[in-house]
Amino acid sequence: MLNDTNRPVLDAILDELIPPSEDGKIPGAGALGVADFLPTAQAYAPDPAGSVQTILDAVSGDFVALPRDEKVAVLKRVEAAHGQAFETLVRLTYMGYYSRPETRPYVGVGAHPIHPQGYPVDRESDAMMDELTAPVRARGKAYRDAK
Amino acid sequence: MQNEPVDVLIIGAGASGAAIAWSLLETRMRILCLEQGPKLEDKDFPSRDDDYELARYGEFSCDPNVRRLKQDYPINAEDSCITPVNFNAVGGSTINFLGHWPRMKPSDFRTRSLDGVGADWPVDYETLAPFYDMNDRNTGVSGLGGNPAYPNYSPELPPIPMGKLGQTLAKGFNKKGYHWWPSDVSILSQDHDGRQKCVNAGTCDLGCAAGAKGGTNFTYWPMLENAGVELRAGCRVREIHVDESTGFATGVLYHGPDGQVHEQRAELVVVACNGVGTPRLLLNSKSKAFPEGLANRNGMVGKNLMFHPLTGVAGIFDEPMLGHEGPMACSILSQEFYETDPTRDFVRGYGLHSGRSTTPMTYALGGYGIDNPIPWGAEHREIMDNVYRYLAGLTIVSEDLPEEHNCVTLDPDLTDSDGIPAPKITYRLGENTQKMLRHGEEQAKEILLAAGAKKVLSKNDDKVWWRAGWHQMGTCRMGDDPENSVVNGWGRSHDVKNLFIVDGSIFPTAGAVNPTSTIQAMALYVGDRIKTNIETLFD
Repeated sequence: MLNDTNRPVLDAILDELIPPSEDGKIPGAGALGVADFLPTAQAYAPDPAGSVQTILDAVSGDFVALPRDEKVAVLKRVEAAHGQAFETLVRLTYMGYYSRPETRPYVGVGAHPIHPQGYPVDRESDAMMDELTAPVRARGKAYRDAK
Repeated sequence: MQNEPVDVLIIGAGASGAAIAWSLLETRMRILCLEQGPKLEDKDFPSRDDDYELARYGEFSCDPNVRRLKQDYPINAEDSCITPVNFNAVGGSTINFLGHWPRMKPSDFRTRSLDGVGADWPVDYETLAPFYDMNDRNTGVSGLGGNPAYPNYSPELPPIPMGKLGQTLAKGFNKKGYHWWPSDVSILSQDHDGRQKCVNAGTCDLGCAAGAKGGTNFTYWPMLENAGVELRAGCRVREIHVDESTGFATGVLYHGPDGQVHEQRAELVVVACNGVGTPRLLLNSKSKAFPEGLANRNGMVGKNLMFHPLTGVAGIFDEPMLGHEGPMACSILSQEFYETDPTRDFVRGYGLHSGRSTTPMTYALGGYGIDNPIPWGAEHREIMDNVYRYLAGLTIVSEDLPEEHNCVTLDPDLTDSDGIPAPKITYRLGENTQKMLRHGEEQAKEILLAAGAKKVLSKNDDKVWWRAGWHQMGTCRMGDDPENSVVNGWGRSHDVKNLFIVDGSIFPTAGAVNPTSTIQAMALYVGDRIKTNIETLFD
């Protein structure tokens, strides 16, 4: 489905769906290679390749060379005209991007598989818990009897 | 193919099936449990994978209509604003539940007497309390004793960490002068009984690879199998048979993992298939004696379906809330608005649960149980960089009232992979619930602002979370009157004296708390009553 002609177009589209950060430290979805995820995402959408192709066909002209604001304008027109395919592309882009463990630290989440390591979270000390719950205890009984 | 008869046949190896099996162990009866799903191995839990979040949208989705695994049955929810969610495996929905473990409160059992709505239960809190305690010991429960919202009890293990998020929200509740308390959870805060403590992974819905969450695959089943209970996984019960001359259940037909249909005879049949699966099975078990479905002479099977409709409000704070660290959605719980207040325009009430934020992919796709992706483009970058990690939210968990038009029926066309008719859900939010949810949203906003949120995000529509039918109750409700209940006060069918139901379908009312603790306490209570009445069980 993807070839030397349409792959750069798809990468440019993906870099608008999830753009890079302004300082360049966080890559966009295109630069990250999320295009590789899309054609094989049948488990998550009925026809991912078809959706991608619909959007590629709708993005006419030399999309890659356009300035950023014009790229966004093109994509908004495509979104309005091909809502379902566009929504599928957006969802799969998010999946392809955030399934890459290296993206999680960009938003403050650990890159590691979540088990067995987990996260170290200290339990509140007895003193802290007493202090926090004191106002609740002070108000007394907070339920109705049912006899 | 016919198997050796057993004394007790339990259908479903989830929360209630496991609990009642444990209760009946001491009878030394031959106990068999049939479960349509598999027994999961450690390698089956996706949280050890780099791309673990993808599993939420595939084989570990909470929605059987998304998973579409062989053991799943589709559910037609086109006429519902909430779709049921579940998991089919040994452990049932305790595989993917979040471990919330609040008990129902005394008034939950007396809504008709106290508030003029719903129905009174044939049991009360005091009767159930010892069974709550027993189940808590078997499960491993963490929490803080002395909660003024309950008659006094103390979880065995200390509370799980509330974390920065929970502490921040607690201060907001304190500022408002409202009740809150650290959540009771079936998640181990320390190593216990040969199981490892929670490592704060935060992906409780993907099963617990640490074994710290109280799914019955970790709590009851290892001990039950060691004690001689036979568990046959991959066995889907098609229908329950009844002897037309005696009116007694004789056993079941089931599809085995060998692809064959088997007959299993039993002296006593216990149904534990949840508030959608149980009425579905009974409605599919038609006979001359029960043309409208087994145990359904009064037409009540499937009716009075109750969920806990959910919605939520999130606040953006100045500091990262670290919400992805720690058990998902379990940190603190407020019951400030739980009990009926005659000054409000609704009866009964709701709970406010801290929502620990979901992981990045799930948040970008709309949040857990919500299909509404955040915008693409510059706005996406802004949200993920400057909003996501600063979020803390409150979930409003509302009490549904039983309404007969909310029901489970059989779909005329849809079937599972064995050709068994699938359930259809017909459900709409009651007016009382709608008012409750609006009230909850307003209160949640105020509490988040009191906690220091600089901005509150709310959805500005009247919709409830769609993929959020976690708690399925009421569809085979218990009661003393055979004309408007399906089972009696201890789970025995009014129509079929050797048929028992033990899951959430027997709840006459829903309360506004996660039901699993009560489901299992009730299953233990039913088991106790079976043992107590063993001499006259079928009278």
